[in-house]
Amino acid sequence: MFSLLTRFRELLLVAALLAYPFFTYLSFGHKGRAPNAVDRLILALAWPIQKSLTWAVESTSGTFNGYVALRGSHQEAAECRAELSRSKAEINALEQARLENERLRNLLAYTETTVEHDIMARVVGVNASSNFLSMRLDRGEDDGVKVGMPVVTADGVVGQIVRSVGSSSDVMLLSDASSRIGVVVQRTGSRATVAGGGGRGTLSLDNALRGDELTDGDVIVTSGVDGIFPRGIVVGKVEQVQRQPSSLFLQAAVRPAVNLRSLQEVLVIPVPVVTGPQALAAPPGGLR
Amino acid sequence: MRFLLVTALGLVLLSLASVFSQMFGMMLTRVDVVVALVVFLGLRANTSEGALGAFALGYMLDVFTGRPTGLFPFLAVLTFLLVRLAAGLVDARSRATYALFVSGATLANALLATFFNWLTSSKEDSPVAISLAGLPMQVVLTTAAAALLWPLLRRFDPANDRPEAGVLL
Repeated sequence: MFSLLTRFRELLLVAALLAYPFFTYLSFGHKGRAPNAVDRLILALAWPIQKSLTWAVESTSGTFNGYVALRGSHQEAAECRAELSRSKAEINALEQARLENERLRNLLAYTETTVEHDIMARVVGVNASSNFLSMRLDRGEDDGVKVGMPVVTADGVVGQIVRSVGSSSDVMLLSDASSRIGVVVQRTGSRATVAGGGGRGTLSLDNALRGDELTDGDVIVTSGVDGIFPRGIVVGKVEQVQRQPSSLFLQAAVRPAVNLRSLQEVLVIPVPVVTGPQALAAPPGGLR
Repeated sequence: MRFLLVTALGLVLLSLASVFSQMFGMMLTRVDVVVALVVFLGLRANTSEGALGAFALGYMLDVFTGRPTGLFPFLAVLTFLLVRLAAGLVDARSRATYALFVSGATLANALLATFFNWLTSSKEDSPVAISLAGLPMQVVLTTAAAALLWPLLRRFDPANDRPEAGVLL
């Protein structure tokens, strides 16, 4: 027996190295797995390389761009001051709306508490396979980033955290084929679902009824019913609305508000704890 | 020793590829550095060392995807074996032949990954046409990267101790 094992050890080794991952793949398939000690070690070793390389490249381009930008800086500063004044006025108006919203929410017995402040993170790389669209951030569970937290920029939704270890985390982009987000049309309040296009430039709008009043250019925002994204974050704009007589639903594309190709910094939002009637009504998971 | 060197090089190259892909705004195209290294192992390493190295490289790629499933270690070992078999037919000692092997392996690897992805996911979650849209550029970039890596990889094999070609056992 032992001599047989010795004789065929290479064959057995190769067979084991083929069979183990193959059956793991068939068993756990598309779900992925939680990071184990080896995964954490690999990510911990890769993190300094990615971080330092990103820093070096950004410093170099920052120095060059800073020099070039000096020429128009006076005019730009004046424009920024004007923009700041306008923004302050808008913030004041929004603050009033927030207070009113809070009063109404209390009346309806809703409670929503944000656990912590938003976590700012820097993008240090994209993942190594184009079958799954995700990016790596330089903040992880040491910084309070947890799986499931939504990721946004000032422009809108970026995606959702799918893995968080030590000092880094991975965010599944809203353009990934398995991404789903509950949305509403800002102008009409119609509900729908935005699905990732898997690398296409646009996303697709699902479950929007054919009778819904929807036109090109309508802004789509998160509905908050998926229990993941807070309400009112911009997802994108509607394009190419098509209504077919034989279908109950209309077809439309959504141009993402965020340019996913040039992301540098993002905000990770600690998941709000929602209780009250809405939490009970919320369907499970906006992102599969 | 070579196993450790190639694995360490794989980690560095995967990190570099990740940063540069993000920097150049690549969404569907990647430089498949793991395939380049697996092909090198298929051409130069013995069966045990090469299969272990391919598994380790595939495992790292799997971890780097953000959603490890086991697919890439399997594909890496399979690619290694296919290269070992093909190496029995072609003498791959030059940079050009190595690059040719890498382009074929990149194509086969990506097609197999897309196939298995399609096989195990729902229809709407695996848009095959979109997955394959970036493939031609991926083959070109990976081949170019392999040609650049060739002088470095040859340093791992100073004696040119090429094993008997095409023999698995």
